[in-house]
Amino acid sequence: MNLVILTLIIIFSFSCYLFGKSKILNTSRVSGKKFHSLPEYYGYYLAAWCGLPALIILFFWSFSELFLVKIFILADFKTDPLLDENKLNLIFSEIRAIAEKKFTGTIPESLIPYSEKFLSINRILELSKLVVILSVIIFSLTFAYSQILKNIRARESVEKVIRVVMFSCAAIAVFTTLGIVLSLLFESIKFFTSVSIFDFITGINWAPGRAFVRDASVQTADVENVFGAVPLFWGTFFIAMIAMSVAVPIGLFSGIYMAEYSSRKFRKIIKPLIEILAGIPTVVYGFFAALTVGPFFRIIGENLGLDVSSESALAAGVVMGIMIIPYVSSLTDDVINAVPKSLREGSLAIGATKSETIKKVVLPAALPGIVGSILLAISRAIGETMIVVMAAGLAANLTINPLEASTTITTQIVTILIGDQSFNNPKTQAAFALGITLFFFTLIINIIALNIVKKFREKYE
Amino acid sequence: MNNDKIKISTRNLNVYYGAKQALFNINLDLMEKKVTALIGPSGCGKSTFIRCLNRMNDVIDICKVDGSIKVDGSEINEKNVDVNKIRERIGMVFQKPNPFPKSIYDNIAYGPRIHGLAESQNVLDEIVENSLKKSALWEEVKDRLNQPGTSLSGGQQQRLCIARAISINPEVILMDEPCSALDPIATAKIEELIDELKKSYTIVIVTHSMSQAARVSQNTGFFHLGKLMEFNLTEKIFKNPDNKMTQDYITGRFG
Ligand SMILES: Nc1ncnc2c1ncn2[C@@H]1O[C@H](COP(=O)(O)OP(=O)(O)OP(=O)(O)O)[C@@H](O)[C@H]1O
Ligand SMILES: [Mg+2]
Repeated sequence: MNLVILTLIIIFSFSCYLFGKSKILNTSRVSGKKFHSLPEYYGYYLAAWCGLPALIILFFWSFSELFLVKIFILADFKTDPLLDENKLNLIFSEIRAIAEKKFTGTIPESLIPYSEKFLSINRILELSKLVVILSVIIFSLTFAYSQILKNIRARESVEKVIRVVMFSCAAIAVFTTLGIVLSLLFESIKFFTSVSIFDFITGINWAPGRAFVRDASVQTADVENVFGAVPLFWGTFFIAMIAMSVAVPIGLFSGIYMAEYSSRKFRKIIKPLIEILAGIPTVVYGFFAALTVGPFFRIIGENLGLDVSSESALAAGVVMGIMIIPYVSSLTDDVINAVPKSLREGSLAIGATKSETIKKVVLPAALPGIVGSILLAISRAIGETMIVVMAAGLAANLTINPLEASTTITTQIVTILIGDQSFNNPKTQAAFALGITLFFFTLIINIIALNIVKKFREKYE
Repeated sequence: MNNDKIKISTRNLNVYYGAKQALFNINLDLMEKKVTALIGPSGCGKSTFIRCLNRMNDVIDICKVDGSIKVDGSEINEKNVDVNKIRERIGMVFQKPNPFPKSIYDNIAYGPRIHGLAESQNVLDEIVENSLKKSALWEEVKDRLNQPGTSLSGGQQQRLCIARAISINPEVILMDEPCSALDPIATAKIEELIDELKKSYTIVIVTHSMSQAARVSQNTGFFHLGKLMEFNLTEKIFKNPDNKMTQDYITGRFG
């Protein structure tokens, strides 16, 4: 039904555009009257008046529809004091499933009348939606039509409409972000009512699985100390550092090479090739790490007489580092290229060699930008999940041995949320607490990094 | 100009940017401890020419320099010549001041450090002070040597770049429109400075200002479309040029 209405609105708007345009063309041709704007602006004007109000109503109506139906249907059940919110929801979804013929299993007799009621209410709502929208279209069109005949400044109105549309898109993006952050925040607050923040931040024992098997009879004191997130913070930091120790030297030097030494042709080929590394799906890196690099390290370790577990922080970190190389190298290349040629020439003209010039003039000048790019890469490393899930294991070890299994914040979020979970126990809510911690870390790093990069840009542009 | 010593001489100098030829058969002698001005309409190849003299055109991939450039009689336009040594002897000041994003002190100390000219901190301090004095900047910056070079005004920055060029005691200083970004007062200061510097250095200056060329130089070369149209004593060029085009350009009837 919605689709039909949407199609109708689009067709109407389009014909309004054509109609408005030709109407103005004809009028000015026949009567010689001069209009303020070009004919097509009157077309756009009509189309906007035809489409936008209708679309807005369609949008909100469709959202509230189900809500309305629910109120009507559940009115009868509300009187029963035994039914709480969850049960009511369950009943409603059963009724709905029966009505839409999606119910599996034997249909409970008692609900059949309700499902019929559901259908009829729905039909009435849909029909009235169609009627309302059509009448709105007619109403606003009559208004708009009278306006264009009055020779309004259509061009300016269209400009306003465009501005509003763009603004709404931006607003949607902002509100979505806000919504995500708020939901993270609320769930974490729930978590922190059952587990103290202090224990979460300083505890060194992470075993949320044990919290789950316990029932309410166990004292909360026991629940608290299985949510010590320090091993996760450490693991995240540790693996990110391993990754950076791979990505920074390789990325930095290849960036410098591309920017300063390679021929333009070579750079044009090699830069996209390196950037492919960032485009490979992380799962692919994950099994590369788990199936190739991990075992490879284990074999080397065995030959050296070291005890390497096949899931190790080292394998995950190294592969993650490879993935991040392009973040460092491409940004380094860009930043170095942004250092003005005149500085290089100034140095060369004094008789400095190329590498002296790079070391003493170009790199110091580019340093803020390079630091910024490294910080961005770090925040990428901290947020990376798949590689760690597959290659570093799940054990929340607090260890500085890179050859042992390790785990990160993101990995634990995944493990916690895999499978069906109810959202009301501390174990699940812990995921939100971890999420907001992670969000907080990366946000701070990103803000710092972007600021540094911005300062750098301002200096040279 | 007969009893003067020739510092740099070019013979049959041809320069190409890719397939496009920018200079045609330039034969020109630069006299030691004299100021030579190069004038000519935009795009005629003045910058290209002086960049040949310290091999700065090597930096541009597509640029090819053919012919002979001799400094004190020895060829520098050859593959096995050490470019860095050439540039140590022949310094350059650019159109736009380009101080390094370092302190004023480090800007000047950069060259001496690279070439190992100062064995001790004292000697380095002395070099910095002398260079700044020679470029008439010392009084203005002596209390703020640790501030970034980029914090100076445009005219001061240009004098800083001149100080940077003379810090390694070159024999020749090439200046490519050193005053084009400066106001008349800063320009006057630099012109005074050039007058002073010519006692110890051979100077080549590219300029778009006829009056500047007339004021500071002893010899003047007029370039047009990549060719050296006329080269003579400045006085002669400005009073009574041999070439009709030179006459037109100088009097502003052209270009
Ligand atoms: N890097 C380059 N690549 C290709 N062509 C160049 C390059 N630099 C200069 N040219 C060309 O060589 C010719 C001479 O340029 P040059 O910069 O020497 O002129 P100029 O006399 O210094 O001009 P201006 O007074 O405007 O500085 C011009 O036609 C220019 O287009
Ligand atoms: Mg030039």
